[in-house]
Amino acid sequence: MSLHELIALMPVLILALGSTVILMLGAWYPRWRILLGAGIAVALAAALWAGVSEPPVDEIAALYSAGPYARFFTVAWSLLAALVLLLSLRYGEERRFDGGVYCSLVLFAGAGMSLLSAASSLVGIFLGLEAYTLVLYILIAFDRESPSGAEAGLKYLVLGAIATGFMAFGIGLVYVGAGTFHLPEAFSAALVDGHLRAYALLGWVMLLVAIGFKISLVPFHLWTPDVYQGAPAPVGSLLATGSKGAVAAALVTLCLGMEPYIADIASLLWLLAAVTMLVGTVQALVQSNLKRMLAYSSVVHMGYLLIGVLAVGAEGGGAVVFYVVTYSFATLGSFAVIVSFSHAGGEPQDYGDIQGLGYRYAFRSAVLSVFLISLAGLPPTAGFIGKFGIFAAAIRADMLGLALIGILASLVSVYYYLRVIIIMYMANVEPNHALHPGCRPEYAVLFVCIAAVFFAGVLPGPLLDLIGTIVK
Amino acid sequence: MDPVIATYPDFPWLTLLLVLPLVGSLLCWMHRHQPEDCRWYALVVTLAVFILSVWMFAATPQSGQRWFLYEDVAWIERFGIRYTLGLDGLSLLMVVLTAFLQVIAVLISWPVKKHAPLFFVILMVMETGVLGVFLALDLVLFYIFWEVMLIPMFLLIGIWGYKRRVYASIKFFLYTLAGSLLMLIGIIALYWLHGQQTGVYTFALTALQQTRLSDSESFWLYGAFLIAFIIKVPLVPFHTWLPDAHTEAPTAGSLDLAGLLLKTGAYAMLRFGFSLFPETAQKSLPLLATLALIGIFHAAWVAYLQKDAKRLIAYSSVSHLGLVIVGFAAWNVTALEGSILLMVAHGVTTGALFVLIAMLEARTTTRNLDELGGLWHCAPALSAFLLFFSLSSLGLPGLGNFAGEILILFGTFKSHPLWAVLAICGVVFSAAYTLRMVRRTIWGPQGKLAVCHDLDVREYLVLVPMAIVLLWIGLYPETFLAPLHETAASILNDTEAARLAGGGR
Repeated sequence: MSLHELIALMPVLILALGSTVILMLGAWYPRWRILLGAGIAVALAAALWAGVSEPPVDEIAALYSAGPYARFFTVAWSLLAALVLLLSLRYGEERRFDGGVYCSLVLFAGAGMSLLSAASSLVGIFLGLEAYTLVLYILIAFDRESPSGAEAGLKYLVLGAIATGFMAFGIGLVYVGAGTFHLPEAFSAALVDGHLRAYALLGWVMLLVAIGFKISLVPFHLWTPDVYQGAPAPVGSLLATGSKGAVAAALVTLCLGMEPYIADIASLLWLLAAVTMLVGTVQALVQSNLKRMLAYSSVVHMGYLLIGVLAVGAEGGGAVVFYVVTYSFATLGSFAVIVSFSHAGGEPQDYGDIQGLGYRYAFRSAVLSVFLISLAGLPPTAGFIGKFGIFAAAIRADMLGLALIGILASLVSVYYYLRVIIIMYMANVEPNHALHPGCRPEYAVLFVCIAAVFFAGVLPGPLLDLIGTIVK
Repeated sequence: MDPVIATYPDFPWLTLLLVLPLVGSLLCWMHRHQPEDCRWYALVVTLAVFILSVWMFAATPQSGQRWFLYEDVAWIERFGIRYTLGLDGLSLLMVVLTAFLQVIAVLISWPVKKHAPLFFVILMVMETGVLGVFLALDLVLFYIFWEVMLIPMFLLIGIWGYKRRVYASIKFFLYTLAGSLLMLIGIIALYWLHGQQTGVYTFALTALQQTRLSDSESFWLYGAFLIAFIIKVPLVPFHTWLPDAHTEAPTAGSLDLAGLLLKTGAYAMLRFGFSLFPETAQKSLPLLATLALIGIFHAAWVAYLQKDAKRLIAYSSVSHLGLVIVGFAAWNVTALEGSILLMVAHGVTTGALFVLIAMLEARTTTRNLDELGGLWHCAPALSAFLLFFSLSSLGLPGLGNFAGEILILFGTFKSHPLWAVLAICGVVFSAAYTLRMVRRTIWGPQGKLAVCHDLDVREYLVLVPMAIVLLWIGLYPETFLAPLHETAASILNDTEAARLAGGGR
């Protein structure tokens, strides 16, 4: 690895090395706030480096790209790590989290997600994915006082291990078919008469299964609600946004690489998308817990994303990336509201807990409503532009059927998002117990998210143009 | 000609119109701890919008310009979405109506105590949405405003409504959203087809009108648009959300629903549905007329059987809007002008009736016609107003609705005598249920009564302007028809020309 490559890898190195330093520091100097501040500084430094400095090489060790696409996601996930840390300030303090460990794990997750999004080789995908999945195993069960956290961690571990197996095997098969790990040659080399070789096809399906586990596509989604519910809410926000977004980014790279030959697996993707949207929607309808509802909602959103992935030739790639951004802000914001209401004793997540909140906690209820409206895809929020891009790409790619299923799902989905708003605003009961008034860092995160949701909804031009230039 | 608007035609007057209510709602939100201040902000802002719109009305040039005011800025260039607003005679009348009714809505909501700041915030956001629908000339921009109207109305019904408010608000929301999502697919498909033909990807209405479509494409796309509009108007059999929403909504909500939201459906049909797909639209006119005529009779019949006065008026809206659509279907200038005039008159009349029912309920604690009666002894002025607006609603010559109805009937008779005859019968029906309501409330033996006092100053302030407007429309409709002449003709001609040219079939 040359010096140039090291420089190009610098943002990820900042995250990873910073994470190690903070881990050490935490052992000698266990001050939660200071460690957290240091973690935020490291994450911001990584984002700044990735955003400002032009990498001297295009690719690092034939594993990771250093191009604009990779830089975009490195900035995004570093900022996400910073926001998650900011969000954990009071939450972790009240639960006496170990500052050094927590901070370093979140940073490391950021590094892993950045690597995954930047991967330009199947091995790179594997390494990136495992890097942050391992971290999440620990983070999900981080709250030792919470029994559901341990359960969620175990569930994620077992299913994650299976998914890892699938992925490794799938990559192996693709390698057998193609003789290379590098993208996009891994696909073009595996072609016979314009079709994927049987080995490679099987490998692809296994890869899809693993990816399906990670971004919870139906029928691989069953862990999602339990894990969301059991994990600490700040970790949940990381799990719901970055861990899925990074996989989606890798999926776009994969599918762009094999764009002319995507027809071989298109029917499978089509089916996955349709089933994911429909089943996720139906299950979300019957939830009575905010985090579980958000879990199923994320399932449905991954279904929409798959539409964009399928339409990857018709500007679907850009639509997916934009969607990931809009979805992430709205979801992070929703989790941030849950965090800000949390006491040391627990998180208010049952619908009963949030009854009648609308007037007592006007600001946070209002922003939660906006986040949900954005998730529902109604203008003038970012979610609308995101959905618009996806559906426009679908119609362009002549997938009217899938677009109609998506429209149907989003129509029904409005009901379960509105239900939360109804419970907050239209239940004629006073909230039965006082929730936490929230603290400044949490409000800061909420402000960032709400600003992003409105900005990307009303003036999406700059972001769309940026994404248009990085996704080719 | 007014000097200011004419002197600064480049000033974004239309944007100002849209931004004012948003500023107002922001002010309200920031002063949410002083509910009394909020309603003043709301009143000042809605009055400002109203004055601005009247000013535009007064400044309307009769010079044959297609658009009196026009704004066009690139917005989301990547998708070819522009921020295009245009004001012609049709939108002008709708804008004035909106601004007027919104002032009334603020005034009648003066006593709202429950979460008052939020109430006024919502009212003003909705004003922006409705005004935007009437002004937007870019399909996506139009769609966005179309959706922006929904959430405020949902909250308005759901938070401040009556007993079954949550059910009604959800039903309203999902019903309308189902239609508009179909329209969204239609919009994107049209955009795509246009882009493929010309290489220019745009959502501009004027450009999309030139799209060449095959018969089946045009059929499906027009269908997708039309369902969204029919649900909003509403025509039978898509009207079932309306009685629930109207009845459960608070008074300002009923006023806005009947006065404004229903009009957006009819307006959009004219502005977008007919002009984008002229040939298919032409073929669909008999179907529209049939649905509208069924609606006139069905709704009149159902209205006659209602016990709840508010529900009765809700059904009467379906009936009246049916007549408006018959006027569209007649497809000539006279009928079209009549329809638009009736839209305005109906907005004021029905709004006033909802207001009166609310005032009545405040005094009697009931809206049940069986329990009401003999109101004249106690509140003669209120009763007189109720009689006045009821007479307008049933089409008494000299009052607002009559002017519109008679034009519709003249126009329809020219092209389709049978429709006109049936529609006249419908008008007779409306006399039946309206008079029944009046008889049951004002006259007869004394019914339930909680407090006995006549109108107070605020209530006069609400009712008198509405009565004046109706008299004005009824006695001298030309004031309101003048800006319409050219617009109505150009709507018909544009469509006709496009049809003959074979473009945009």
